Amino acid sequence: MHLTFIHLTLIKASLRRVSLLAFLCLLNACAATGVREATHNMQLPRHAELTSTPFFPQAQYQCGPAALATALSAANIQVTPDQLTPEVYMPSRQGSLQIEMMAAARRHGAVSVKIPPQLDAVMQEVAAGNVVVVMQNLGFSWVPSWHYAVVVGYDLDKELLWLRSGTYERFEMSLSAFQRTWARSEHWAFVALPPGKLPASVSADEVAKALVAYEKNASVAARKQAYQAAVSEWPDHQVLLMGLGNAAYAANDLPLAAVTFQHMIEVHPASAAAYNNLANVLLAQKHIAQAETVAEKGLTVAGDDENLKSQLAQTLVEIRQSQK
Amino acid sequence: MIMAKRFLSAFLAASLLFTGSMQAVQAAMIGTEQVAESTISAKGAQDRAKIVDMLSRDEVQSELVKRGIDPVEAKSRVAALTDDEASNMASQLDKAPAGGGIIGAIVLVFFVLLLTDILGFTKIFPFTRSVR
Repeated sequence: MHLTFIHLTLIKASLRRVSLLAFLCLLNACAATGVREATHNMQLPRHAELTSTPFFPQAQYQCGPAALATALSAANIQVTPDQLTPEVYMPSRQGSLQIEMMAAARRHGAVSVKIPPQLDAVMQEVAAGNVVVVMQNLGFSWVPSWHYAVVVGYDLDKELLWLRSGTYERFEMSLSAFQRTWARSEHWAFVALPPGKLPASVSADEVAKALVAYEKNASVAARKQAYQAAVSEWPDHQVLLMGLGNAAYAANDLPLAAVTFQHMIEVHPASAAAYNNLANVLLAQKHIAQAETVAEKGLTVAGDDENLKSQLAQTLVEIRQSQK
Repeated sequence: MIMAKRFLSAFLAASLLFTGSMQAVQAAMIGTEQVAESTISAKGAQDRAKIVDMLSRDEVQSELVKRGIDPVEAKSRVAALTDDEASNMASQLDKAPAGGGIIGAIVLVFFVLLLTDILGFTKIFPFTRSVR
């Protein structure tokens, strides 16, 4: 009798413990993953808000043009949602495609860069003064309600985040709620920056990719400015150096092009492309003998790459023709 | 008539040569994109190799088999990853804790892969996310 009683209390106690544990687990589950990493990130300012970001309330279903206009205006590119609607809005789908959002930003002269899929990356950008266009699913994965909005501020202590969203000028969300709605777009987010400004959270490789896409539509001057900023941040990055050299050449800034390709050869001695382009710059500068030496060196560096070899051979042909 | 034919063929040959040299002049400078493709996607290949390397470890293989995943199938999925996805996965693997935890992490990452693969069915039209 006594024994069973002890037994029962023991069971009760352990049940209580189990339920407490389950409750704690539930509580834990309430904090979406990634929020703790952000709130415990000591490199971030605890609070930041870009209060001067303009606001364009969206017309029906047209959050894409509204969000894009907000981001572009924040980057000092004057454009209205109405102007953007034909570029990014698909009436048949009542929405905007992600790649079109980024392409439209480029078309209007901004460098669009996708940022890493992490909450602290969003905050890093906001702290650096860059608003972030995010894609959220405000519904569930099985009843999607896709939405574009612009993150303009956050507070790590209050665990809050503010967006220009839909018809709300300062939409407040808890970090957990934001994180969950954002996660459903696989944390899709990008910044649209004026040329010469760099994102705060993005690696050199990703910036290089963004600039390669950007330069196709950019003016020669903007292209040079954008690469110059990136090279001063990452002075030895192969693609960025190539981009700066080519942009300088396109802008007819031959001294800068020559210096850039020379530096590229120093830090990437195996890059036959750098030799090829330096030879071309030297040719344009009428340093024919030097151009020939550089192109010949490039041909030895090219190794087995047939494509590069034929490009260098062609450069050599042109240099030799110019001597006649 | 023969003269005319000769003239025409000479003209055609000359114009062909001319367009050839025009293209060559444009091809003289190597574009940034060409370098970006060779350097940045070479990294994607390295990342893929790294993941396959990890999947090849005996303890990981036995763990995969235990969960009913064919290791060969696992590797072929890695080959199908885009560069971005490969580098994403590789960096997740880099962040995984060293020691015993790593096997769990690799298997976990693989399950994430499986999931995205299933989602892949809904990505037949990759840009159809309609947005309110």
